[in-house]
Formats: sequence, structure tokens, C-alpha cells
Amino acid sequence: MPPLVAVSRGIPARPSDADRTVGTTWSDAPCPVLVADRDGGLVRMNGAARTLLPGAVDGEPLDRRVPVWLSDAHLRVTQGLHAPADAPLAGSIDDRFFAAHPTPGADGDVVWWLVEETDRRLAQALDDAQGRSRILTEVSSTLLSTLNVARCMETATAMAAEHLAEAAVLVAPSQGRRYPLTHAQRGGRVSHVTQRIDVAAVPGLGEALQGFPPVPARWINPDDLPDWAVPDGFAGPVGSVIVTPLPGHGVPAGALILLRSSTEQAFTEGEELFARLFAARAGAALSAARLYSEQTRITETLMQELLPPTLTSVHGVDFAGGYRAAKEQDRVGGDFYDVHPAAHPSQESLVVLGDVAGKGLDAAVLTGKIRNTLHALLPLADDHERLLNLLNGALLTSRHTRFATLVLASVSRRGGKVHLRLTSAGHLPPLIVRNDGTVEEVDTRGTLVGALPAVTASTVRTVLAPGETCLLFTDGITEARGGPLGDDLFGDHRLRRALTQCAGMPAEAVVERVQMLASQWVGAGRHDDMAAVAITAPKTGRLTVVNGRASGQEGRRNR
Amino acid sequence: MTDLHSDEFVLTVLRDPLTLTVRVSGELDYDTSDDLLRAVVEQLTEPCAFRDVRLDFRDLGYIDSTGLSALLMIHRRTSAAGALLHLDHRPEFLERMLTMTNVLDHLTAGGHREEAVEAEQDDGATEAGVP
Repeated sequence: MPPLVAVSRGIPARPSDADRTVGTTWSDAPCPVLVADRDGGLVRMNGAARTLLPGAVDGEPLDRRVPVWLSDAHLRVTQGLHAPADAPLAGSIDDRFFAAHPTPGADGDVVWWLVEETDRRLAQALDDAQGRSRILTEVSSTLLSTLNVARCMETATAMAAEHLAEAAVLVAPSQGRRYPLTHAQRGGRVSHVTQRIDVAAVPGLGEALQGFPPVPARWINPDDLPDWAVPDGFAGPVGSVIVTPLPGHGVPAGALILLRSSTEQAFTEGEELFARLFAARAGAALSAARLYSEQTRITETLMQELLPPTLTSVHGVDFAGGYRAAKEQDRVGGDFYDVHPAAHPSQESLVVLGDVAGKGLDAAVLTGKIRNTLHALLPLADDHERLLNLLNGALLTSRHTRFATLVLASVSRRGGKVHLRLTSAGHLPPLIVRNDGTVEEVDTRGTLVGALPAVTASTVRTVLAPGETCLLFTDGITEARGGPLGDDLFGDHRLRRALTQCAGMPAEAVVERVQMLASQWVGAGRHDDMAAVAITAPKTGRLTVVNGRASGQEGRRNR
Repeated sequence: MTDLHSDEFVLTVLRDPLTLTVRVSGELDYDTSDDLLRAVVEQLTEPCAFRDVRLDFRDLGYIDSTGLSALLMIHRRTSAAGALLHLDHRPEFLERMLTMTNVLDHLTAGGHREEAVEAEQDDGATEAGVP
């Protein structure tokens, strides 16, 4: 039977059996086609194959011209080890990528059809890259939207399990000897536990927690993993592991352990690299959350410590206090007040109201110091000037000249009247509202405390009749900027006028009124801390009993 | 004279062989006090022979407690350097603040205080010099 021998080049010495099977039109096929015999010798090639393998000559051993993956595949096909149902063989020749489809003939020759897949490959790689960058973007946007550390760890672990592995364990930096662990499985629950673990049990974990680069996944033997590193209910034995550090802002934010079971594909180098990119994003978000919560905690602790006390009536004298913090929320203010009740009604209670120079942490620390020192010095409050000198000595430092101004008021009630000893240490003098509406400035002067080697101060004694009030206040009130033009100070005269209208009012109402007027004056503008304390001699002997409830019930019964 | 309400904080430093003058314009507060302190201290750290340091407040618009704190620190430094501090052309609000806090006399104290500081330093030097 005469075969068609219409091949222009490389006319075979004999017609091959494979030729008969597939015909010889293959020689015109646009894809590279080559025929090799059972011994691995190159029998024939078409034009496209010659272009792909320049210099190849018929009869040459196949493995001299083609990559190992193809010559190995040929060997397997000739030995009948390759079933047609198997996945198509593929590999690269030079920088192009081909799928190789064999058509075996009865004589042992095999026709290899090489279908180029370079473009599809590139498209696939691009797809992967796009997918990964989408994941990274999602990681950043999801994690940065929460500043709650626990929530952030949960999300990071869950996302790692979702996109990178089957399960993930996030090991946060130790709290003492214990480590917070977050476990997550793909599609499963996320759980937290804080426990003592042996970091050295997982190769590379100790280094990762110190921020060193990760060890390659192939260095970690999955069988050696301790129980805590594998989430409960993980399907099957662990097949491959990645340990990667979570780099934070300067300090490590923890480490991430990624797990795949033995039935899944092991982590590739590309996946390891992606895991590091993922970890970099997650680490940045985690450490931002950690810094934020640390700062919030410090501010909260300080605020708690510095919050002014609620004032009530002590030994027959009414006290009321009001404090409006400056609007800059990140700064702890410098105003404070305290009432130290006397142990016995016949003794004096001590009221302190003050203002510390500066803002923020520095001011907060100084405020705390002053309040504590004054508390300890209470037994010496019978001599205000001496008390102030002791306080001054305790505050004095060569490092700075941060000072405080304050007013001391020793208060006791005798025979329905309130007796006051008032001393200003560089502070605005207290104002007294008499029952007839006159407002008196208490003529006490003294040196600020905390900056000079010694202080002097004069103490003024006065008496409040029932209904009269002594107001201690800080310059946040008189220096409140606002008004119709927006830049005028509330000022001494407006405060005095307001107080005139407060004659006979209870302590609480006086403070309320002053704070309200100053706030209205400021409007929406910025203001400093405003603090005020009113000391009022209560009006006596006025009892009003209104039995409205009884009459109401009666009315209902009558209906 | 410039506008009293000008917010712009400006320091003008004038040097004579014996006198350092710093004109302070604008608001001396939490945000600007450090600048004044630094400007004065810089001049004092060089080996100087200033007898007087003059702060000129004619264009001062406002001062808060942090500003006063800076003045107290400047006084410490000028005393240590053996110079006398002068607070010139004090506006009324500054005068009131200095009076209320009772620091005016301290800030502008005459020679004896500085002499005392110098004496103290001399004592220290003498003691250190004795083997």
C-alpha cells in the first residue's frame, strides 16, 4: 500500500506505522509535531518542530534535543506506563510552554503533538497575581478598619486560613510567660486561647517572634508539630507547614503558622512568598491596633485618676463642683479640685482647686503629684502658707519650671455660719456672693508653687451667712474666648455680673449657672479646661411639704 | 508698631557686647514657649559676657501658663549665667499675671541673687580644684 509521501523534507526511509494511524498530513500541522521510535530516537519532525528545535537531525537520540520532561514522558509512553486518561503532559521548551499529546503507533513509534500554552500560562499567572493583590488589598482594608486587637487577630487568622492554607495559628507576642493563640480553619470557627507554650517546639517560630525572616517550609517536619500548633478537629495529618513573622512597626507583632493536610498540595515557593506579603500587611495592621489600644488604655487610666470627685454636703456645708475639659480630646487637662472632709464636724474640711501649667501627660503627672502630696499634708492644713511651702518643696525640680496655681479653703460650720480661711497661691482670688447680690473678691495673694525656691502667701478669714456662696474657679472661665465677635474674653466683669444674679442660690445651681454662661459665651469655639467649686452656707429652717400625690389619688377615687 | 492682635509669633534677637535683647511678638503659649526658651538658651550657652538679658514684650499679644513657665526657666538660666533678666514694656495682662502669681520680684531680682548663685558656683569650682 503506497503511503502518501508528500513530505518535502526529511522523507523517511520507511513509512512508519504511526504515519498510517494518523496520516501524514501532520507534517503540515501548524503546531510542532515529532515522531520518535521505541528506543528514543528522533524519527521525523515537521516544519514547526524544526523551528522549535533548530539543528535537530532525524535519527538523533531524543534526549539530546528535547528537555528531560519530554524524553522521560516518551520513555513512559513507550513502556505503556502512561494511560491516555492521565493528565496531559506539559513543560517548557526554551521560554515557551507546551502541552504534549502522544499518539502511539503499533510499531512502537510515538507521534508527539506539542500544543503551545505559553499565552494561557501567562494569562493564568496574571490571574493569580491579580487574585493575590485583591487578597492583599482586602487584608489591609479589612484589618485596618478595626482597631480592636483581638478582633484584628481573629480576622487575620481567618483570612490566612481562607486564602493561604487549610488552617492557621496566629501566635501573638508573649504576655509574661503565656502566649495568646488564635486558631482558625478554612470555613470553620475562630478560637482564642492564652497558654504557656514551648516556642522552640516549632522550628523557626522563636526566630519569627523576634522578627527574623522565616525558615523555608521544607525545613519543617510536620510530624514534629506540637498539639497546640494544630487546631482542634484539623482533618488528617499535617502535610506542610509555613512559619512566617508578622512584622510590626519596629517591633514584631507575632508570627503566623500555616498548615495544610497531607492530602493537599504542599506549599510552593511562590506561596511562601505570598504568605510573607500577607503577613506584612497583617502585621502592620495588628501593631497599629496594638499601639492604639495601648494609648487608649494610658489615657483612660490617667483620666480615671484625674477625674474630679462628685461633691456633696459635708458637715453642714454645701459643696458643688463642675469641670468641663478642653475640647482637644487627646490631651488630659490641667485643672483639678478636691474636697477633703474633716474627720469631725468641729474641724475644718479642706477644699483645693488648682490649675497646672501645660497640657497632656506632663500636666497629668504634675496634677497627680499635687493631689497626692496635699492629701498627705492634710494634718498641717491649719497653716496654709506652711502647707504651700511643703508642697512647693516636694514639687521643685531642676529639670523644669512647670508650676501650679491653686486656692486653698479651710471650711467649718459654727452656729449656722460657715467660717472660711482662704489662701491663693498665684491663683485667681475666690469671689464671694453675699445675700444682697454684692460680689466680693477675696484679697488673698500668694506665690505659684513648684518653680521658685520658696513661696509666700497671705490667708484671709471670712464668714458666709446662710445662703451665701464662695466660688473658686480657674482662668478657663474668665479667659473663655467667644462672644458676639468671637474673640472677646468672658472676663472678670461678666463672671461678677452672673454671680450677682446667683445670690441666695444653692451651691449646685451657682456652679451650673457659671458653667452654662461661660459655655454659651464660647459657643462652638475652642476652650481651655473650666473648673469651679462653690462653697455655700445652706439656708436653714425652710421646710415645704407638698402632698400632691395624695390629692391626686383622692381625685381618681372620686371619679 | 505692629498689630497687637497679630497671631504671628516672631522672635527678634539683638546682640550687644553686654546685652542680649529678644523682642517677643505674638502669642507666647503652649505652642511657642519652647521657641523663646531655646532662642535665649542658645545665646547663653556660647561663652558669653552678657550682663543683661532683656525680653521686650511691647508686641506681646497673649501669654498663658506655659509662657510663664518658660519665663521662669529663662530666669534660672540667666541667673546661672550671671546675667540679669529684664522684662521690658510689659503689657497690662502680663503685669497682672506676674503680680497674681507673685513672681515679678523673683524674675527681675537685683544683683544679690545672682551674686549668690555665682558664689555657689565659685565654691564648687574651688572645692573641685583642691586635690
